[in-house]
Amino acid sequence: MERTLANFVRALRMADVRVSTAETLDAFRAAEMIGWTDRQRFKDALGAVLSKSADEHAAFDACFDQFFHFDDFESGGVTQPLTDEHNDDAPEAAHGTQPSGDAAAPGEGESESQGGGGGNNRDDNGDATEAAASANPPVPTSSRSEAVSDPASPLGRMLMADDRTALSMAISRAARDNQLENIKVFTQQGLYTRRIMDDMGRAELVDEITTLESSSTAPDQRLAGELRQRHDRLRAQIRDHVESQFLLHADAQGERLREDMLRTARLANVSRRNDPLMRRAIERMARQLVAAHSRKRRVTKRGRLDVPRMIRKNMRHDAHMVELAWQSKRIDKPKVFAICDVSGSVALYARFMLMFLYSLKDVLPQVRAFAFCSDLAEVTDLFKQHDLDEAIRRTLAEHGQGSSDYGHALADFERLALSDIDRRTTVLILGDARNNEGNPRTDLLRKIFERSRRVIWLNPEPRVSWDTGDSVMGRYRAHCHQTKECGSLVQLERIVSDLLRAVT
Amino acid sequence: MTEPLVPNPAETMASVDTVRAALERHRYIGSSRIATVTYLAYQLRKPVLVEGPPGVGKTELAKTAARMLGLPLIRLQCYEGLDEAKALYEWKYGKQLLYIQVLKEQLDDALGGAKGLRQSVERLHEYGDIFFSEEFLEPRPLLKALREAEGSVLLIDEIDKSDEEFESLLLEMLSDYQVTIPEIGTIAASGQPPIVFLTSNNSREVSDALKRRCLHLYIPYPDAALEQQIIQAKVPEITLELRRQLVAFVQALREMDLRKAPAISETIDWARTLLLLHIDALDDGWIRETLNVLLKFQDDVESVEAQLPYLTRRVAGI
Repeated sequence: MERTLANFVRALRMADVRVSTAETLDAFRAAEMIGWTDRQRFKDALGAVLSKSADEHAAFDACFDQFFHFDDFESGGVTQPLTDEHNDDAPEAAHGTQPSGDAAAPGEGESESQGGGGGNNRDDNGDATEAAASANPPVPTSSRSEAVSDPASPLGRMLMADDRTALSMAISRAARDNQLENIKVFTQQGLYTRRIMDDMGRAELVDEITTLESSSTAPDQRLAGELRQRHDRLRAQIRDHVESQFLLHADAQGERLREDMLRTARLANVSRRNDPLMRRAIERMARQLVAAHSRKRRVTKRGRLDVPRMIRKNMRHDAHMVELAWQSKRIDKPKVFAICDVSGSVALYARFMLMFLYSLKDVLPQVRAFAFCSDLAEVTDLFKQHDLDEAIRRTLAEHGQGSSDYGHALADFERLALSDIDRRTTVLILGDARNNEGNPRTDLLRKIFERSRRVIWLNPEPRVSWDTGDSVMGRYRAHCHQTKECGSLVQLERIVSDLLRAVT
Repeated sequence: MTEPLVPNPAETMASVDTVRAALERHRYIGSSRIATVTYLAYQLRKPVLVEGPPGVGKTELAKTAARMLGLPLIRLQCYEGLDEAKALYEWKYGKQLLYIQVLKEQLDDALGGAKGLRQSVERLHEYGDIFFSEEFLEPRPLLKALREAEGSVLLIDEIDKSDEEFESLLLEMLSDYQVTIPEIGTIAASGQPPIVFLTSNNSREVSDALKRRCLHLYIPYPDAALEQQIIQAKVPEITLELRRQLVAFVQALREMDLRKAPAISETIDWARTLLLLHIDALDDGWIRETLNVLLKFQDDVESVEAQLPYLTRRVAGI
């Protein structure tokens, strides 16, 4: 049981649910207390212990269903009618085929039988074992049962017994023995399938089938055919199991790997196919940034007494200054103006930066966004009215044509928003500063520089290509507090993180 | 509805089913999840962080738990600026001052014959920190909860409204059921540790450290069947048909885009209102008259009124 739960915790961590060791221990205790019998209750209990927010809970739900789900074994299309007299044997037969003393197995076993009426299978199986053992079935229904003689290999017997629960458990045990949870890549699936089959006694079974096939008696031949068919079916089942485990354990890992790659890749090279992944990566980064920066809203100024507050506080002590009150620094809400070049090559970067800025609503409540090619317009309202994707799409569609003219855009900005810039405002300008030989109007940037708290210029081009060709980065650079390269997500994250540190 | 006169906590908390039955006996109708988590909270002695939209019965759960266990409910309402002095303990400054005044003469006696400062101070030392002993300690909710010998139910309401510093203050209390007072030392729970419920409306993300120490329970809006049960338990006098109608209406409202969707508490209020007005079938007119019980924003009231014919048709059509 411990191992099953530990594996489950592992799967949860893969699915981005942060589970600490202490929580794992709690989960063990909770599982002990609740028991494994009631699936829903078990799930509720684990959910309460392991998942700590709505997001995590959704992930937990999905993970739980996937992990504690076990494909019902097809009873091979052969249904045997139930006879009452055999019902008594049923539990016994089921136990006979069960692995003895494996404490871990009931985990899957029970959750499985919860799902699909386990009782019936056991009855089936009781019947089948009985039929196979006595070789003289009381209810001769299918041609198969007459033909069946007792297969010699253990796996063969298990297959013929047709006990789905026992088979499921045997598979999961073999999977555990082979450490299926360590599966890393897609191509390992075949290997694991083979190993599990071997573990379950495939060799013996194949030997037996070969012997039976070479035998001359009709019942043996028939048994061989039946066994081969069931052998194939078993392999398919195991493959399924391996695949689902792969999805559970390795897929998330693979995704993390791809995400790490995306973080460092140049944004221009990221294909649109990876958009959802990028979104998730950005959201995750934003979450971390929010967590890191929402913590320090009020800073006490060391060593400066807040006299009025102290007098008020000490009124009840007859104005004896017993308790001290310190001045604290109220942090003003930061304002961020983002001016984005949305012409051709830079548009993509603008997209991601806007995505980033607007994912930070919790710490940056006042973001105003401006987009330009040559004419500059405010797009803040678009982001208020529509969701992020739609707003970005509209921004690019409405403002993204033509070649960029920084001088013109800055003039527009001066008219629109220069008067709103104050000492609390940080101005982010995103663009490659390729002005198409137009007038750069650095005087306007200077004005912005003088009024604002900070002007940060983000250039998606690598630093070496700044000032080459029609780029006038060098001239703008003199009027910025900071210039940064923002080619990849990681760089973007660092910039936003610095920004937050500076403004909050 | 017969309740045992003295509830036995151990018996009530014996299994998930007994918890659920007890909750229901105290007219708290909830999903099995709620019962499971309550049971675990008691058995594992872990605090529960209850989240969910306002008015789904987060606070009520703690109150009911206290009632069904027969334990005192100690409530700490969080707000911005809540600090140690209000949550944990405070020195009774006035009492200290008064005692010093009264005992002034005695002090002279106690120091009688002492020569020089050093001797006086030594003499005083013999008395220890009498003015910073437990007699001068004013216990606030957290300390009070720890001192209940029989155990208690501690409700820390709206933890998201408090400052982050306060959360950190809670950590010691929640993981070890003890608090540290510099002048006295560490005070651990004297008897049964309290059962702690924290509620949050998610106006601010609660810190991970705090979350890790708690069981997490999310209470969503109930589905129609559950809500009907709740109304039946809370307002049993209401007729079956009206109950069905009003629950259907509220459920329809929750699907609309409102600033504040009506929660269970609003549904209950509404049911009581309708009962008071002797209404036995919903119609447009009465809904219009009583809509302000359900909706707390004028914008919402207006947008619902505009859609009222459609909504009532839907409710009647079910």
